[in-house]
Amino acid sequence: MTRLTWTIARHEYVTNVRRPGFIFSTLLIPALGLIGLIVIIIFFRQTIDLLRIEMRSRDRRPVGVVDQSGLYTPIATQFAEDFRAYPDEAAARAALLAEQIDAYLVIPADYVTRGALTAYTRSGGNSFQDLIVLDRNKLNLFLVHGLAADKLDTTILRRVSDTGAGDFLPIRLDSQGNPVTKEANPFTFFGGIIASMVFSILLFISIFTSSGYLLRSVSEEKENRVMEILLASVSANDLLWGKVIGLGALGLTQVGVWLLSGVLLTGGLGMLMAGALAALNPLTFVLALIYFILGYLLYGVLMAAAGSLGTSVRESQQIGTLFSGGAALPWMISSFMMTNPNMTLARVLSWFPLSAPTMMMLRLPYGNVPVIDIVGSIAVLVLSLPLVMWAGVKVFRASLLVYGKRLSVKEIWSALRKA
Amino acid sequence: MNPEPALFADKLHKEFAAVVAVNQLSLRVERGQIFGLLGPNGAGKTTTIRIWMDILKPDSGTALVLGQPPGAARTRVGYLPEERGLYRGLRVHECLTYFGQLKGMKQADAARRATELLERLELADRAKAKVQELSRGMQQKAQLAAALIHDPELVILDEPFQGLDPVNVEVIRTLIRELRAQGKTIVLSAHEMSLVESLCERIALINKGRIVLEGALTDIRRRFSPNALDISPPLDLAGWPEVEQAQTHVANGVTAQRVYLRPGVQHRDFLRAVVERGQPVERFELATMPLDEIFIRVVTGRGDEQ
Repeated sequence: MTRLTWTIARHEYVTNVRRPGFIFSTLLIPALGLIGLIVIIIFFRQTIDLLRIEMRSRDRRPVGVVDQSGLYTPIATQFAEDFRAYPDEAAARAALLAEQIDAYLVIPADYVTRGALTAYTRSGGNSFQDLIVLDRNKLNLFLVHGLAADKLDTTILRRVSDTGAGDFLPIRLDSQGNPVTKEANPFTFFGGIIASMVFSILLFISIFTSSGYLLRSVSEEKENRVMEILLASVSANDLLWGKVIGLGALGLTQVGVWLLSGVLLTGGLGMLMAGALAALNPLTFVLALIYFILGYLLYGVLMAAAGSLGTSVRESQQIGTLFSGGAALPWMISSFMMTNPNMTLARVLSWFPLSAPTMMMLRLPYGNVPVIDIVGSIAVLVLSLPLVMWAGVKVFRASLLVYGKRLSVKEIWSALRKA
Repeated sequence: MNPEPALFADKLHKEFAAVVAVNQLSLRVERGQIFGLLGPNGAGKTTTIRIWMDILKPDSGTALVLGQPPGAARTRVGYLPEERGLYRGLRVHECLTYFGQLKGMKQADAARRATELLERLELADRAKAKVQELSRGMQQKAQLAAALIHDPELVILDEPFQGLDPVNVEVIRTLIRELRAQGKTIVLSAHEMSLVESLCERIALINKGRIVLEGALTDIRRRFSPNALDISPPLDLAGWPEVEQAQTHVANGVTAQRVYLRPGVQHRDFLRAVVERGQPVERFELATMPLDEIFIRVVTGRGDEQ
């Protein structure tokens, strides 16, 4: 790499970063995000208002109880604040309409045997409002208390109404019996997965926007006939590396803008994501970066070669899809990976250079990737890179000055043999 | 004379698929002259130039540029390729500055030099225009500026007059002479033989990848000149033993006569005969063959070298 590599890299970056197409595509994602946010605000305003009411709901009204079973009246002192007894439905209805209570329950005489009860609320709200008004936890505790108060002590009563079975995640053990997932905290766990997923997706997008720019840049220079002047001034190697570096930086800029706008637009949510990202396993983070660099170099060189092969930008893009197809393959099976990130096909694709970067970036967030797959995929990439670069530069050099026709497979082969 | 030639090729060979583009070509271009590289389309001129510019690698043979292997002297060579191209979306001045930087110049120096060249080529008012907004002739001149941006010692111009109007042809021709006066070497490949004749001191004619004719333009002309004289006004030459044939023609409004002498008869023998016979002669000059004709004869294999 020479000083000229950096001159070319800077030129590629500066001239492309101000292209209207780049600015448009960079701002498109934040703009869509902003529109989405506005839509959310408009459609869920009611809900947000309600949430606000709920936030200051210390003045919330109690729930009326029409107890025909005789199990719940008189109301136990610990529930007196939240529940109020009424002798019959008419009295309860009158209290509801007079807004003295927000809802009332009718507990029938055969409640113990049938388990059915009816709740009434005022119209004008929605089911979400009903959920808030009829707090399930309190209701459960109240109903269980009525059924078993004289049989159990208070601590057991509480546990009976909330066993805690609803919100835990299993801790996975490896064959030696050691926990594999360190954190059993659901937020950190899912946050970690989502954060590394988003991180992987952004890096993936960055690889493809950058190598797409690379393809177009080479192809345009060929179409514009600038190539011959360039090659009379710099070596094909300098030219290729200058472009790879400059346009790689361009792709990262785009992803950076998207990330920043995400943080700004979502405010706290963005910070939440950042927190989750910090909770991410540092090894996963480093590995994702390694796959990003190796992946970008691989696709960058391939796309530059594709750019030099076509007779026009469009034709070059068609050739480029041959390579990007390989990289897109892991995405097609990604939905099956939710249940088994280490499925055989995923493991096979991790060992194939064209799909390895994407496949591994998709698998890493789930954790638990066999070490052999990580070592193997990196080794495959590291070994195939020099070969791809060598062949890429040869094809690049051989086809740059062939105008109006595409190199035949035989000509490509002869270019490679002449190395 | 500098011991190292500006361009040197020894048994240079290059094939594409089944086509031999350059066939054991050997050539030496000395420094400080205007050298014409001529040949029909597909003769191998551009391929030879591309090998010198390190854009293509030869299959075999040696190529040297200013005494160095191709590629090593990139910053000392200016090149105007036959396939013209500039960054269409960039401003002219910006584009030239970038090409200067690629030739190893600092950005500020390249920018200053770009301004000078645009003024010299009468393009100063278009410096801020985008390349795609320029007319074809203007783009051609901007392209030439790109080749000269780093003040190279050796300038290789592939078809520099293509697509230019007579006014711009003159601008470029004057510029080439100025470069020559500054001691630079200019190698030009062109189809316009009259321009080659008016500029070049030496030429090489390439056909089918080989050099078929090479030397100083005056020598080549002499070698190809017929044993004939151009005289005016025309004479009645019937019965003259020295004369094989005479043709009267009108050139530039003047009636002249081309007199073909019998083999073995020298020009001075004919002149002496004219004087002895007391004929009035206002103009008397050796007939030469136009370069186009030499070109056609050599290329078609009718090499009537005299």
